[in-house]
Amino acid sequence: MRRTSIMKKAALSVAAVLGGLAHADSVTIEHAMGTTTLEDTPKRIVTLYQGATDAAVALGITPVGVVESWVEKPMYHYLRDELDGVPQVGLETQPNLEEIAKLNPDLIVAAKMRHEKVYDQLAQIAPTVTHETVFMFKETLDLIAKATDHQDEADAWHEQWDARIAEFQNEVSGLDSIDWPQKVALLNFRNDHARIYYSSFAGNILNELGFERPEAHKEDVWGVKLTSKESIPSMNADAFFIFITETDPTVVENFEDWTSHPLWNTLDAVKNDQVYRVDEVDWNMAGGPLAAERMVDSIFEHYGLE
Amino acid sequence: MTTHYLLRSRSEHLALAFHRQTILRCLLLLVILLAGFVAYLCIGSTMLTPLDVAVGVFQPERSDHQFVIQTLRLPRGLLAVLVGAGLGVSGAILQQVVRNPLASPDIIGISDGAAAAAMLYLSLMAGGSIAFLPPVAMVGAGIASMAIYALAWKNSGVLPIRLVLVGIALAMALKAVVTLILVMGPMSTTIQAYVWLTGSLYGAGWQDVYGMLPWVAGFVPLTLLAARPLGLMGMNDSHALGLGLAVGRYRLLLLLCSVALAGSAVAFAGGIAFVGLIAPHLARGFTGRTMPGLILGSCMTGALLLLLADLIGRSAFLPQDLPAGIFVSAVGAPFFIYLLYRRRTH
Repeated sequence: MRRTSIMKKAALSVAAVLGGLAHADSVTIEHAMGTTTLEDTPKRIVTLYQGATDAAVALGITPVGVVESWVEKPMYHYLRDELDGVPQVGLETQPNLEEIAKLNPDLIVAAKMRHEKVYDQLAQIAPTVTHETVFMFKETLDLIAKATDHQDEADAWHEQWDARIAEFQNEVSGLDSIDWPQKVALLNFRNDHARIYYSSFAGNILNELGFERPEAHKEDVWGVKLTSKESIPSMNADAFFIFITETDPTVVENFEDWTSHPLWNTLDAVKNDQVYRVDEVDWNMAGGPLAAERMVDSIFEHYGLE
Repeated sequence: MTTHYLLRSRSEHLALAFHRQTILRCLLLLVILLAGFVAYLCIGSTMLTPLDVAVGVFQPERSDHQFVIQTLRLPRGLLAVLVGAGLGVSGAILQQVVRNPLASPDIIGISDGAAAAAMLYLSLMAGGSIAFLPPVAMVGAGIASMAIYALAWKNSGVLPIRLVLVGIALAMALKAVVTLILVMGPMSTTIQAYVWLTGSLYGAGWQDVYGMLPWVAGFVPLTLLAARPLGLMGMNDSHALGLGLAVGRYRLLLLLCSVALAGSAVAFAGGIAFVGLIAPHLARGFTGRTMPGLILGSCMTGALLLLLADLIGRSAFLPQDLPAGIFVSAVGAPFFIYLLYRRRTH
């Protein structure tokens, strides 16, 4: 009796192993809010933060549902062609769970930072994988690639990204007009204050490209808000990249206000004539791999490289 | 004597008088609230018939809409009712105890205490679980109200007017703390913080309902039991004392009820303002002839107000789901002004 039961157990475990093999497709993903196992490769994907939407498109996936963009509503212009006709499921901060459920997805990509409270409900709708934050574009790309079996596409992307970075470093160090490596500051103007960004989406990419930050900007925090024009000197760097909401007249007015202040002209970047206006979507709002590429392209352009 | 229903035991050991109009109007309000709740369950991204809703609520396993009703709308609607009820009663108590029609938990510092604690938690514990947010907010509300009570203490007693003034001052100080945290805090928590401060029922689950229920189920009946002292509290202290009321003791008890109700409401739904101020005013003209009527009326009006605000927030701008806090004032303020206007012309 005993023997047969052992045999039975052995047979069962062999069957289990075989069963596991039959499901060789199943992927287990450890992510910010737990572990999720996907039995089949997902086909209907809902992305709940901007960077995830961008990353899905970068992998050649068209999501079945996306959240509204921060500006250029309802969707950033650079993604509009690929996302033509894709339904919206509400705000990134508060996506509409009923709309998501109606789309009948088989994978949801969310961020712990935004969707921790509704993770359980999302997971009841479909397997949900999360990233800790919303702006780590490479990790977002890898997360989605792993979940959707697009590893080859992701590898290809990383390869061309690394090549692009190397190309820049190669070319920029040959420029005579500037003293490489340059110290840069990333500035942003709102309608009632100005900001210096330190460790952010764009800040991290600038560092990867080989740009340095002024001593005072090296803190590992998102950045700092400046409310008084007296603090203009703290912006100082060899070059500035500035992004603002160009469509908001109050923002443009405040920007002109700050930049016409006498202190502004004492800054190195202004004296060097190295103040570059860049696109706020590519540099700050989108947070995905495609936006990162566009951001790097714009730096090439500003430095007259190609 | 047809204004009251009388209930007497044979030997007249127990005799109760119920104000007839109050009872009828409270029942009417209850019917409206129930109708509103059914509408809340029907309306949304997927429109359901009342029949679908009935099946979904009572026989979930047979329903096609089990997820939408059981997981999303039912707990969220119930939380809206509980939070609204808590805030309404909390406001009614405060306005009576401090004898000031402008008092409400978000004006005299209770909500701000909760908000400051929640913001501190969000910014200091970046990455910490948000499951701890409700208890943290509740502790904040408790500490703030204890501070108000202690600071308002003078000559072995607390004067209502001092309570209001100290409360407003402390509320301002706490608002400054919140603003400071928002300015200094990292970007990531700022967005989270704004959503919390606006007040939202988004993502409410059964655990929130079960967390909020004991507070409402405990402190609203307790307030009803103390309805008579609460009525006397509306006179000045010497009159209430002269009528034999232990003023100081009851003031403390009633304030405790108010803080518990407002603190738990803010803990589970964030900084929803205005309900506590406006619900008692809306109720006063309708069921407020008697003190139990005012309490029950504020309870149901508050619930209805928040239920409607959340219904608008999550279904008027589809596919967007917006925080209920935005719409509380949008629903309540016009009606409030209409009531004031109508009273003026009479």
